[in-house]
Order: sequence, then C-alpha cells, then structure tokens
Amino acid sequence: MLEFETPTGNAYAWDNKVGQFIPTSLTMRSVINEMRRKKLVSKEEIIKHLKEKFNEQEISYYYDWINKWGKIRHQNYSSQTTEELHTEENIKYFVLKRGLLHLSLCVTEDCNFRCKYCAYSDSYEYTRSHSNKYMDFAVAKKAIDCYFSLLNKGERYNPLRKPSIGFYGGEPLLNFELIKECEAYIRDTYKDYELILTMTTNGSLLNKEKANWLMEHDFFIAVSLDGPEEEHNRCRVYRNGKGTFGDVIKNIRPIMDKKYKKIYSIAVLDWRSDLFKQEEFFNREDIPSPARISLVSEDGGSRYYKQFTKDDLLAFREQLRAARSYYFGGSYQQKREKITSFFENIVGKIPERDLLSTISVLTPHPIMPFTSACVPGRKLYVDVNGYYYACEKVNGSFPIGNVTEGLNFARISKLIREYINCMDRCPECKVSRKCSFCYPKFETDNGFSCSSKKCEIIESKMKESFAETFALAEQNSELIEKDSYKYKNIKKYCGD
Amino acid sequence: MYFRLNPECYLIMGKMHGAIFDLIETKLYALNQQETEIIKSCEKNNPIREEEEFLNDLKRLRLGNFYQNRIYMQKLRVGSAANENDIVDSTDPPELHRVFLEINNSCNRNCWYCGYYGVKRSLGCMGCNKWKNDDEPLSLEGWKKVIDEICCLDCRELFITGGDLTLAWDRTMDIIDYARGKVNNINVILHQENLSQNIKDDLADKANIIVQTEDLYKVEQEDLTILLIKLGDEEFTSCLNRNNIIIDIIIDTDKPLSSNLPVMTKKKILPTDVYKFFNNVEYHPCLGHTLSICYNGDVIPCPMMRTHCFGNAKDEELHYVFKKSWERISKFWRLNLDEIDKCTGCEFRYACDDCRALEESLTKKLDGKILCSYDPEKGEWQ
Repeated sequence: MLEFETPTGNAYAWDNKVGQFIPTSLTMRSVINEMRRKKLVSKEEIIKHLKEKFNEQEISYYYDWINKWGKIRHQNYSSQTTEELHTEENIKYFVLKRGLLHLSLCVTEDCNFRCKYCAYSDSYEYTRSHSNKYMDFAVAKKAIDCYFSLLNKGERYNPLRKPSIGFYGGEPLLNFELIKECEAYIRDTYKDYELILTMTTNGSLLNKEKANWLMEHDFFIAVSLDGPEEEHNRCRVYRNGKGTFGDVIKNIRPIMDKKYKKIYSIAVLDWRSDLFKQEEFFNREDIPSPARISLVSEDGGSRYYKQFTKDDLLAFREQLRAARSYYFGGSYQQKREKITSFFENIVGKIPERDLLSTISVLTPHPIMPFTSACVPGRKLYVDVNGYYYACEKVNGSFPIGNVTEGLNFARISKLIREYINCMDRCPECKVSRKCSFCYPKFETDNGFSCSSKKCEIIESKMKESFAETFALAEQNSELIEKDSYKYKNIKKYCGD
Repeated sequence: MYFRLNPECYLIMGKMHGAIFDLIETKLYALNQQETEIIKSCEKNNPIREEEEFLNDLKRLRLGNFYQNRIYMQKLRVGSAANENDIVDSTDPPELHRVFLEINNSCNRNCWYCGYYGVKRSLGCMGCNKWKNDDEPLSLEGWKKVIDEICCLDCRELFITGGDLTLAWDRTMDIIDYARGKVNNINVILHQENLSQNIKDDLADKANIIVQTEDLYKVEQEDLTILLIKLGDEEFTSCLNRNNIIIDIIIDTDKPLSSNLPVMTKKKILPTDVYKFFNNVEYHPCLGHTLSICYNGDVIPCPMMRTHCFGNAKDEELHYVFKKSWERISKFWRLNLDEIDKCTGCEFRYACDDCRALEESLTKKLDGKILCSYDPEKGEWQ
C-alpha cells in the first residue's frame, strides 16, 4: 500500500491490490505489520503485543476491519500464463471485440510547419523525420477496405461499434484531394454505416473551401493551437521560422462564426508556456475549446528539454501550483463559462483522475496486466506506405501488419509479450493500477526499456498528487466529482 | 470529531428512512428516522456534536469509524467513475450474461398455471410454458446460429425451455450438445412428469435440471432444482428447508393481494455484494444483461414479457437485432429500480428482487409496482 498524509494530518493509503483508497492510522499500520509478521496470529496476541502503545478497542477494530477488507472478492480471470493468453487467436478475439475503435490514416509525412517540439523533429531520437512522402489512393483504399472487413468480422462480437476514421499527418490538408477521394469512396461503398470522421490539422491550410467541405461532411476538426499569438508562435512556426498564429486564426474564425460544434483545439505546453495567458485565450468564445492539452513529451529519446534550465522547470511548477489554486478557488468555478476550459484540462482533471478513474475492484485484464498500454489493434494507425501501427505515437520499429497482408496478430502478440517482459518493476509497483504509461514511454529504436529504468520516481510523484487531491477532497469533494458523467449515478446513492 | 461509514458501506436514502449496505459482508441495516438523520449528517462530513451511542454501535459492527478531522472517504466501486469518453471511443460491446432459449412451443399437458392461460406467475421464466401462437418455429440450424451469436457476446448462463422439451428429445439434446463447452452454465427446464432416469442420464454433466412441479414429494432428488408451483394463499414455509427449491407463486387476480406473499415481504430483499449492488445501481436486477429468444425467433426481454419484441432471429442475425434495437434493449436492461414507481423512494432498492413481467402484467405499466408491502413514504412494512 502507498501511504500518504494530508496537511490536516489525515492518513490514507492507496490499496493497489483492491484498487481503492482507504483511511489509515498509526494503529492500523501497526496491526497490519503484526499480522504480516506472523501469519495466523490471533487478535488476542496482537492486542497483547500492542496494547501498551494503542487503545485496545482500536486494535480490535482494525484487526477485524483488515480481515473484513481482505474478504473482497475479485473476479476470476483464467489462470492462464502469459504465453497461453497471448495466442494469435486470443489477440484476434480481443481486437475484434474491443478494438478497431479508430482508423487513423497518415495521408502525408510532409508538413508546412516546423514546430519546435514536433515528434518528427530532430529533438527525438527514435521517431521518423519529416519527408515528402504522400499516401496514394491505392494504399488508403486498401486500409479502408481492410478496416471495414475487420469491422464486419467483429460485428457479432460488438454490434454497437461505429466506424471512426481520421486523417492525420504531417499536415493532412496537404493531401486534401486524397481525403476527398477517401470520403467519397467510404460513403459510396459503406453506405449502411454510421460513420465518424476526424481531421487533425495545423489549421494553416484550412481555407474557406476546405473548411466548408469538412463541415458539410460532418468532420470532427481538431486544430493544433497553443494559445495567444506570442505563445503559439513561440513554437509553431513555418519552415522559414515565421509564426503561424495569424493564418490559423484567420481560418478558424469563419468556422467559429458558423457555430460549428465539432471543432476543438489541441494544445501543447512546455516549461516556458504562460498558463494564465493560455487560460484566458482558450476561454474566448471565438476559440475552439481545448479537447486535449499535453506537455511536450520526454519520451521517444527526447532531447527537447535540453534547451531548458532548472529555473524554467521550477517556474513552470510554480505556475501549475498557481493555476491549481486559482482553478479550485471558489470564484473561478462561479465565473467559468465553458464546460471544458484550459485549466480544467491541465489541473482540474488531475484530482478527478486520482479519485475517480481506475478506482475499482475490477483488476486489469490479464492480456495487458501492466500500465495503460492498449492491445494494439484497439486503434489502427496506417503510415503513408500502408504499414499498421498501434497509434500515431509509437515509432516505426513496431509495425503490426500492412494493408496488403492485413493485421498481423502474431506480431501483435509478440509485441505485447516483449513489452510485458520489460515491465519488470510493475509487479511490485504500489501504484501499478493507476499507471498511465504506455508504449512510447518505454520504446527505443529496437525494443523497450525496462520499467525499472523509467519508473523510479513514479510512486513518490503519485504520493504527492494523492496528498494534494485528498486535501482538496476533504474540503470539497463536490468540486472534483462534479463533471464526471457518472456523477449523478454516484451521488444518488450517497445520501442526497 | 467526525464519523464516517467505511469504504464498503453505503448509506442509501429512501423517502423517509435510510439503509446501510455493507458490501463485503452483504448485510443490510435498516435505519429508523433518527438514525438516518445522524448518519446522513455524518456522511456529509459534518462534525458530530456529541458522541452518539448509535455511532458506537456502528463502529462495533465494523461499519464505520470516528475521525479527528474531516476526511474524504472513497467508496468501494466496480468500474471507474470517471468520464473516460473521448471523440473516437465508440460504445463498448453489450454484455449479454443470460439468455433464455425457448426451443419449442408444444406440450400435451394442460397445466392450469401455464402461460397459455395467461396465468400470472412470480417465476414463470423458470418454468415451462406454452403460448397461443402458431408461427413457424426456428430451425435447428437457426438455434445453433443463435448459440454461436450469444457466445460472441459472452453469454454465461443459458436456460433452455419450452413447451415440453421431451417431445423432440433428440433435437433438444442436439441443441444442448451444441451449446455445451460454449456456454459455462446450461439449465434445462422440464416438467416433473417428463423427468425419466434416461433423461437425467442424458443430461448428466451437461446441464442443470430445473423441474417444475406442484407436488414437492414427487421430486425427491437433491441434485435438481425444483420449481414449486404454489397458489398465493397456500402455506409453504415448510418447503423452504431445502435449499434447492424455488417457489413460483401464482397470483390470483380475483382476490386482493395478501401482504404475506413472499413477493410482498422482506424476503424479496437479497444479500448484496459489491458486484450485485453496482449491477443494481445501473441495471434492472433481473432484466439487466438478459434476453429471451422465443420458439419462433422473436427476441424479447424475458420469457414472460411477450409484448415487447426487439426483432426476430429467424429473419436477421442476433447481432443485427442488437444494432437495430439497442436503444430499446438498453431501456429494458437499464430499468433499474430508481426508475420504478414506488421503488425509487425505497432505501432497499439496490438489494431487492423485482419481476417486471409480473408487475407489468398486474399494473399495465412497465414501471408499475404493486408487489411490495413496504411503504417508503412512511418507512413501514404493512
């Protein structure tokens, strides 16, 4: 168990075995230690041993309660070994039932931007570089046909799944004609499907014609936008180094003017971001709400943060603290207008994540027992040459098939086994069930690093986060639970 | 000083009173109004002004504890409570846990309590019934396809029923043999008069047998489940010392309902562990994750709710029925007791049994409730 305290002196523990936070105390800890020290030790013996230090009734209470807690029944997964579990057949079943949620087509590796933090820039050792490669229709068509063929096979395992296809790059609008061709092909060939289409773009080529076309065809449009001009232009620049903000905003404005609902921002932060300026910017009515905000990755052999100083990091942490105080202060909650704001994303969701997500007696599926890594095939990413990958974030060392030969379940199985073999720290990790890491965190150019090398400080970081979250929750749990979609369902049996 | 219920203990509020659910020991504690007010205040993290003996009692029962400061007590859960939806994440597969296959509609007997006569049974789904319908039955191949499809949806429990399954026993065994190994738990429903040693031998190690009878003493085997048919006003408590007996109470609609009927009393409140509790919070305790396929291929919510049809397995594949009618199927599955007439104000609602088929048939309302003698408005059993 990972123990932590809040400033009020309350002690709690994350019970990783059960998947639950529990209140704890010095007495309880001593009773647990006694129970661990000798198996089958009686309550009387423990009382005898501890009664000089603690109240007898308290010792008795904790002895009984710990035994009661130990009776929690977990669901029985099969006792198969990893080798038995990761057969091609099992992986295929898993993918057909729970996978295939999204097909992402990388329609070009080319980009008219040279963002300083781009995963395809020189700052990353293990990822591809920009190129002038473009996907052709033959490859796209095969990828689409293959996706629908898998969906058809999987329909009897999950009849409720809807096809979702995204266009990704590079800058996908550089290959706009292919996107139009694909869209027409899908609508003509797969008429009976309720289709979800997405587009991830830097926004610079989203002129009136393209924007209208995307809106007419009901696309979800995700635009990369880091904040106000100064903030955005600090990293998001053209090849010639010129800032891109003006062009992006000019293109977004008509879409926002039309009150198009399916447009979102995707923002990236680094240690020099001005969080309060970004908050102000993303709260504007004419700016798409931020759907995803991420810190520039330190994975994939990243050298990006070498340009920063320790003071930059400390200043950034200070900003985060200030943002947190501001966000959880009463006035912010009253005046905020958007349901999803910038601060909501970067600080508001942390306590929610700590308190609500992965809290469950349900244990991780044995097919992927550690980290949050998916079973590849949950989503499919197709590069310009027609090779499949688990997602756009993994590097080119791990293809899981191609559009000609199809999804290669044997390769997926091999990849999972190799990954799990490297998760050497996980079995003893006290917060493994709250782990949010996945493949990119551990990948190298030819395999995975061991989790023992990457996860040294994760327990202490989580401990710090839990303490902060519980300090907030002790004062106002409503604040954290309010936006959960299961909120009403939780509250209706909590006494209200 | 503060007092909080432990993570495994939930306070559930009714209109008047509350109840504490201990989800590890599966015990339920009914509270009076004063106790309800005290514990409700504690659960809102209000300080206790003076030490209450009632709270000490709760501590002695290992249901809660005292704390010096306000604390955050996280409750035991099944499944994440966080909003994890995103744009590209589509719906999870439906979880079909239990399926009734009504593989024929023929019977030479004329049992007075048969569905054929529109009799209102409290456990009609566990017995055999014949229905007024001459539709073409689903073929043997059709049933095999249905079994394949329900396996793809992870069906865990199968009830094979009729009609009289012994009239075409070879066909029945074909279907059982096909389902065997694909579904973990197979139950076959037969009338006591049709149960021969040969049939028992055929089913040995393949399926559990549920035998429907009016006379307990005609079925002596301890290894069978007995569905005992009883009129509502008959005395039967003496039968209940055998734990393989389930009672199917026939409701006589010509008489006023007796508040002593087990379907009316505290007996309908069942031990509830964390899984059952969260299932009941989200789903109907009986209809949730359940479907029934009629002999003619009609896909219905349960064997006794024959007026609600989601599609037909003869005309379309079962997964297509899900795709086409998911909203309606989901409506039945998610008809938890919060949605039911007077249950919504009852503190016992997540531990209670409920037969929607019978209630609907008696009240003519899908969310009606008549079979309960508890008045949540007053907090009293009548």
